[in-house]
Amino acid sequence: MHTRRRVFAFLVTASVIAALGAAAAPGGRETTATTPKRGGQITIARIEDSQSFDKTTVFQNESIWITEQINESLYAAKNDGKTLKPWLATSYTKSADGKTYTFKLRPGVKFSNGKAMTSADVKFSIDDARKQSKGWGYLDVAIKSIDAPNPSTVVFHLKYSWAPFLADIALFANGIVPNKFAGQSRAQFYKHPIGTGPFMWDKRTVGHSVTLKRNPFYWQKGKPYLDRVTWTFVSDENTRELQLRGGQIQVDEFPPFNSIRKLKQAAGIKMTLFSSTRTDYLLLNEKYAPLKDVHVRRAISQAIDRKSIVKSVLFGYGSPANSFLPPQVPFYDKNTPGLQFNMAQAKAEMKKSKFPGGFKVQLLVGAGAQVENTIGQILQQQLKQLGITVEFKQQDTSTEFQTIQEGKYQMGFSYWTMDIADPDELVTFAVDPKGGASSFFTFYSNPTVTKLSHQAQRETNTAKRAALYSRIQRLAAADANMVYLYYSPFRWAYTDKLHGFYVQPLGNYHLEDVWLS
Amino acid sequence: MGAAAETFAEAVVIEHRRGFRRRWYRTPSFVAGVSILGSIVLLAVLAPVASWHDPIQQDLSQILQSPSWDHPLGTDELGRDVWARLLFGARTDLRVAFLAVLFPFVIGTTIGLLAGYFGGWMDTVANWFVSVVVAFPFYVLIIALVFALGSGTRNIYIAITIVGWVSYMRIVRGEVLVAKRRDYVLAARAGGLSDTRIIGRHLLPNVITQAIVFAMSDIVLDILAIVTLGYLGLGVQPPTPDWGKMIADGQTYLTTQWELSTIPGIAVVITALGLSLLADGLADLLRPE
Amino acid sequence: MSLTGYVARRLLQLVPIAFGVTILVFFLIHLVPGDPARTMLGNHATPQNVALLHRQWGLDEPLPVQYWRFLARIARGDLGSSLNYSVPAGRLVLERLPPTLWLIGLATILAVLISVPLAALAATKRDRAADHVVRAVPLVGLGFPQFWVGIMLLLVFGLHLGRAFPVGGYGSGFVGHLHSMFLPALTVALGITPILVRSLRASLLEVLESDYVTTARSKGLPERRVLVRHALRNAVISTVSVLGVNIGFLVGGTLVVEQVFALPGIGQLMINSIFQRDFPVVQAVTLVFAVMVVLVYLLTDVVHALLDPRVRFD
Repeated sequence: MHTRRRVFAFLVTASVIAALGAAAAPGGRETTATTPKRGGQITIARIEDSQSFDKTTVFQNESIWITEQINESLYAAKNDGKTLKPWLATSYTKSADGKTYTFKLRPGVKFSNGKAMTSADVKFSIDDARKQSKGWGYLDVAIKSIDAPNPSTVVFHLKYSWAPFLADIALFANGIVPNKFAGQSRAQFYKHPIGTGPFMWDKRTVGHSVTLKRNPFYWQKGKPYLDRVTWTFVSDENTRELQLRGGQIQVDEFPPFNSIRKLKQAAGIKMTLFSSTRTDYLLLNEKYAPLKDVHVRRAISQAIDRKSIVKSVLFGYGSPANSFLPPQVPFYDKNTPGLQFNMAQAKAEMKKSKFPGGFKVQLLVGAGAQVENTIGQILQQQLKQLGITVEFKQQDTSTEFQTIQEGKYQMGFSYWTMDIADPDELVTFAVDPKGGASSFFTFYSNPTVTKLSHQAQRETNTAKRAALYSRIQRLAAADANMVYLYYSPFRWAYTDKLHGFYVQPLGNYHLEDVWLS
Repeated sequence: MGAAAETFAEAVVIEHRRGFRRRWYRTPSFVAGVSILGSIVLLAVLAPVASWHDPIQQDLSQILQSPSWDHPLGTDELGRDVWARLLFGARTDLRVAFLAVLFPFVIGTTIGLLAGYFGGWMDTVANWFVSVVVAFPFYVLIIALVFALGSGTRNIYIAITIVGWVSYMRIVRGEVLVAKRRDYVLAARAGGLSDTRIIGRHLLPNVITQAIVFAMSDIVLDILAIVTLGYLGLGVQPPTPDWGKMIADGQTYLTTQWELSTIPGIAVVITALGLSLLADGLADLLRPE
Repeated sequence: MSLTGYVARRLLQLVPIAFGVTILVFFLIHLVPGDPARTMLGNHATPQNVALLHRQWGLDEPLPVQYWRFLARIARGDLGSSLNYSVPAGRLVLERLPPTLWLIGLATILAVLISVPLAALAATKRDRAADHVVRAVPLVGLGFPQFWVGIMLLLVFGLHLGRAFPVGGYGSGFVGHLHSMFLPALTVALGITPILVRSLRASLLEVLESDYVTTARSKGLPERRVLVRHALRNAVISTVSVLGVNIGFLVGGTLVVEQVFALPGIGQLMINSIFQRDFPVVQAVTLVFAVMVVLVYLLTDVVHALLDPRVRFD
């Protein structure tokens, strides 16, 4: 979701970031004995159109996932998401003080215009990316300077030793473009970017579709298999599904939960749930007096039957959340109990609060957002038992998050997907009132928790760090800083003639491995 | 709403105005219309008795059930009884549709009366407004207005009023232009009656028929407009049941549980049928002379 | 007066309407509660962007000045710049116009092909079973929302009945467009059919009851000849004017149908821009839609004048 990503990008400090990617369940990985076939084209129908192809400034997933087919980085996340592998570089060495990184570039890599990639291109690309203060440039703040001593070597000088450096270099924003944008202006270049990726620019109908074609100079021999890939924007989920079943498209992005079972049974269709880093929350704004009362928050959290929500809204394709961290993130504590459904305890908590008789509260809901509306109605019913009257406040989905961000709401929905697999990104965002996001815009503040989060940032011993994050998760859950609702997978439906399609926990995919039979 | 419904109402009135011989089903159409609408209103009023479930009571263990004795029309995505929601929805929709038509009706009729009766600059200005509004496709203008004003019931009323009064104005103005040359108006004028009195006592009762007939088709199309706004994500979605919300919510399930949005669709259709029959009958019964 | 003169005069009459249309489109932005620039920008509302929009739209100046600037921009063919895609809104609209024009054209043809025979059938078999059926069926159709009809057509023709038609999309080439656009056009046509049938039936009846038809009949002309010679001409005239009057409704239908069938037309562009709060594009599309409708009105009048000897060019 670009709105969220954008804000995170501005607010999250890139302090302690370990490694890109996250744990991925093995399910859904392709294992085919047959040899890949070359040729053919596919169409991917999406829920949104792409906004921009400037990878250094764009925060919308629907744009990022396309730029990743054009521009590649020096390193890339492995499919398991836990580790990184060399990509446009073949190796690197790190100085003893951890402040100098030297990369050896992969020989034989060419841009789609036929020119060979050299260290000058790399220096130019990353220098340009880190200048973009409104974009992802904040992730490169540790870089002091970049040298290109010879065409196949790049040296990064850092201001200080910085653990997540490699993960940062692997980010799409640090993808490689030709030196000086191959003679074009910046704006001109990003209208149809050039890169070393498996696919190159073909054509675009703004607001409707984007088509990329095979990059004939691609460095991985024999790849990509597909001649062409088209991304279309089809807003109606029924139409997307019918198009897939009718053979008009090959991939349906995010079919609704209720159609998953049917799609799994449909002949010729593969319905895959890829594990994700997505966690959904109900935000309780502490600026609203009743929600400042910890007993009220605990009562609300315990009055919500997450199992029922997962069963009826997600049709079972998800699991109740017990922590504000998702299971795919390191240091997630699966033993944190969280405040689970227990109506008797909820009522007892309510009695202990300053509002034993209940109160009225507004719930911000995105107009036309089916899942939010359904869950909202469930909350309405379940909180009624505590004497809490929930009123809907409908708002355009595009302004909904802005309202939350400005703290002009009482209760609202939000979710998080990780960009980088270290808990600090999310912990700082969610429990540090001074972290820039006022504790996920809830204005929650527990000095003990905040202090622990700062300690965890500096702790290098993994076991000790894990213990700190466990305590944070427990304390925050007991305070009901937010209501943790559920974890849900990425949902993709595609024709069974499609092979090698794999979505990583951060949501991206490598199309050079995909082929049609 | 817009020229389309106007055409429709005009056709209905023309059929009757031309003084075709009275056929046996003419007045019966009124009877049928009243019966259909009457039943709907009755069911809406008796909703708490005619259904044995609470329309907003959820049962998450009973979601998306097929029809059964307990749930004659099955249950929706939150395990609520569809039959109960349909009946309680009628309450909401009849009220919303009535209000959505009321404002354009009153405003359009008033302006039409004044413009038609006084003519001159008033007529010119009113007509200019009309031709400007009519230049926009109905949905385009409604959607643009709802977008600018923000979604919500009140703003939908405002948007429908801004667009909808035009039809009433044109219909009433046309009628006034004809009526004001009639003997009774000329006589009243010669007799020195005040303009207010002529308009109120003599013109209004004679020109209102067409507007009423038109209002019947207008209601149907307004319900559809509200439903369509819901589909586009610009509608109102109150927690209370209404047919538009039911259709829009069920839309997600069209390829799995198509009946969820079809059942309220049929309710709209039956209401439409009732209103059309009523319009037919009214045109007949209220025929001047 | 000649036809050219007539057209010229009608064009002249369009001037105040065009003014009104631009005023309304212009004022859309002032309906937005609060600071329109801030609201419009939503998540993009950085101080720089807000300031830029204020400058671009001249929001700090008096309304008449703002309007005058807006007009001047339109006159230059500048419909503003898309906030979302940073390209001229006018170009976006032009790019997306062909599918919408196709849809409107094809839908009009289908609407005529469906409603004229039905109306003729009903009018000639008045009060018989056929008449009742023809009158009742459209009533039922009137109650169903177009998006529902569209998805049902997709389900039935696009999937079950041998996948006869593509499910969404615009197709390529003339035949491709025709093939892909059939179902969407049918949906739009079905939306307007109830109104057309009812209205055409009424005007046909009027014609059939009129003096000259009665005269023709009394002269002993065969019924078939009466229908073709006298009624048909008038039927065509009625069809043209009824279609003209309802074009706004038909065009509005494309908005929903493009959404259902994933057609890259300006209706989809409008809805999409609304969700992205891309105000200049919404303004541009609204304006283009209005221009389209006004032009159709003009065209209808001209055709009407050509066909109907009773309309003199005065």
